[in-house]
Amino acid sequence: MNRKLIIKSNSPLNDLGNRTNKSKYLLLMIIPAIIFYVVFCYLPMYGILIAFKDFYPKKGIVGSAWAGENGLGNFQKIFKDPYFWTVLRNTIIIGVSKLLISFVAAIVMALLINEVRLRLFKKTFQTIVTFPHFLSWVIVAGLVFNIFGISGIINKALTLNGHDSMTIIYDKKFFLGLIFASDVWKEAGWSSIIYLATMAGISPELYEAADIDGATRLQKIWNITLPAIKPTAILLLILSVGGILSAGFDQIINMYNPGVYEVADILDTYIYRYTLGSGQRPGEGAAIGLFKSVVSFILVIMVDRIAKLCGERGII
Amino acid sequence: MRKFADIKYLPLRPKGSTFDKRITTMDWVIFAFLFIYGIIIIYPFYNALLISISPNEVYMKTPFLLFPKQFDWSNYKQVFDPESTLWGGLKVTLVLLFVGTAYQLFFTVITGYALSRNKWVGKSFVMNMILVTMFFGGGLIPYMNLISKLGLYDNFLVMIIPGAIDTYNMLLMRNYFASLPHELEESAKIDGANDIQIFVKIYLPMSLPMLATIGLFFAVGNWNSWYNAMLFIKNPDYLPLQYVLRELIVSGSSNMERVTEAATITEGFKMASVFFTIVPMMCFYPFLQKFFVKGLVVGAIKG
Repeated sequence: MNRKLIIKSNSPLNDLGNRTNKSKYLLLMIIPAIIFYVVFCYLPMYGILIAFKDFYPKKGIVGSAWAGENGLGNFQKIFKDPYFWTVLRNTIIIGVSKLLISFVAAIVMALLINEVRLRLFKKTFQTIVTFPHFLSWVIVAGLVFNIFGISGIINKALTLNGHDSMTIIYDKKFFLGLIFASDVWKEAGWSSIIYLATMAGISPELYEAADIDGATRLQKIWNITLPAIKPTAILLLILSVGGILSAGFDQIINMYNPGVYEVADILDTYIYRYTLGSGQRPGEGAAIGLFKSVVSFILVIMVDRIAKLCGERGII
Repeated sequence: MRKFADIKYLPLRPKGSTFDKRITTMDWVIFAFLFIYGIIIIYPFYNALLISISPNEVYMKTPFLLFPKQFDWSNYKQVFDPESTLWGGLKVTLVLLFVGTAYQLFFTVITGYALSRNKWVGKSFVMNMILVTMFFGGGLIPYMNLISKLGLYDNFLVMIIPGAIDTYNMLLMRNYFASLPHELEESAKIDGANDIQIFVKIYLPMSLPMLATIGLFFAVGNWNSWYNAMLFIKNPDYLPLQYVLRELIVSGSSNMERVTEAATITEGFKMASVFFTIVPMMCFYPFLQKFFVKGLVVGAIKG
């Protein structure tokens, strides 16, 4: 009898009960998180069904009819719309350029700061260049309009001196440049910190050895500093690839205007206007959103695989 | 035979080496470049300040000013007027700043702690469930549908509740807790403490610097928040500072239909409002910088 009891208490089910009891307080602490992620991350995933429906908020997700014959009506509509392809092209151009420009800018900035020997200058400079990161794009847009906008100093100076009015923020030719430049202005200083921290960890002996071999400054940067920050750089690059199709909604929504939609409208701003604007076609908006999520997900997986094939540490 | 004292004159630090203290041309070039870059960062702020303290007529005539010609504080009087929309926005933002930050910190930290402990039932499942959300999401429209279903549309809480856990900062916190010695937990267990006691009495006091770092990130995020307000808030009394500012600056400058309407708002007033929102940040930032940097660096190395 006794023996049987012992065996019973060791059964898998009882064991699970025991372990649950042991970690009951930790489980208590994780319950809010489970509720949070289910409600705010997984319920919207169920909402993806909207992309396949002729959605009317009053009818609800289940009650709305399927879009088109096979539920793909929304996708057929958006893929036929030439403006969707314009927006997708803009998104890719802006996303990829921003990724590359900010990547290079951060590394160059870090290399330059790392070469400064005056500690006071270095510290002051870093405080100044990292500050804009903590401002919202609303404020940065205000500062940009102040210089490049219709009553900004450039336009004012031109018109006062008898030239034609030229408002850069309404100009398709210059707008993207402005987007990239303001992005570097705001973020380059902050992004460089991570590289600077990695550089601070490089053993000084490597530089000493290079000195003895008679290496110049550039040679030392090329052969010691850059290889040392390579793993960090690749990791950050992989992490940012997933955001290419996001292309910086906050920045664009605050800086663009109807005059430059043709070059500056991106998927996120397009979805936003689709849903809140006059048309109100949530089904198609959700379809574009799903397209974006799926492509971004595939991009992350792909880049991760490539990085692993090249012998670097991946993320997944 | 060489005397011992001569050794210090040996070229241990050859010219151009990392340890050579002499200033070369290259140093001057880098210095000049960074100096100019620093000016480019500062100039827009200085320009905004000048516009905000100059009378409108002076700005209209001489847009490029290096020094203020005349002072005019009327823009700031307008901003600080108790009836101004900015004051209303500031009140909302301060509520978000204190309540929102405390709320986010609480949920992010307890989740991070639970995930940092050794195995408990279902831990890897929960972890994977959380990680998936970092790479895949439903998108804007399902999210908006959810918010209106939850009854949060035009509800003050919509600016607080959906921010409970920031996955990135939660993982940062988790890694930090995991890096603290586990022996403390074991010995406290032997003394009969439960997990909540161990967390509150042992691990939490040890992580105050990290808590400060993450709390500051949340605080900055709340100070700068306008996105949820733009999507869901219609009641003008609930609009946060940044959204009020956005209405003033962005809608006026980028909606061509509204340019005429916005023309009545002077550039000076817009820039005074911008300063109204920047100055608190400017005052605190230099002292808090080290916390922000720490958070970034810890995240990158452990990430």
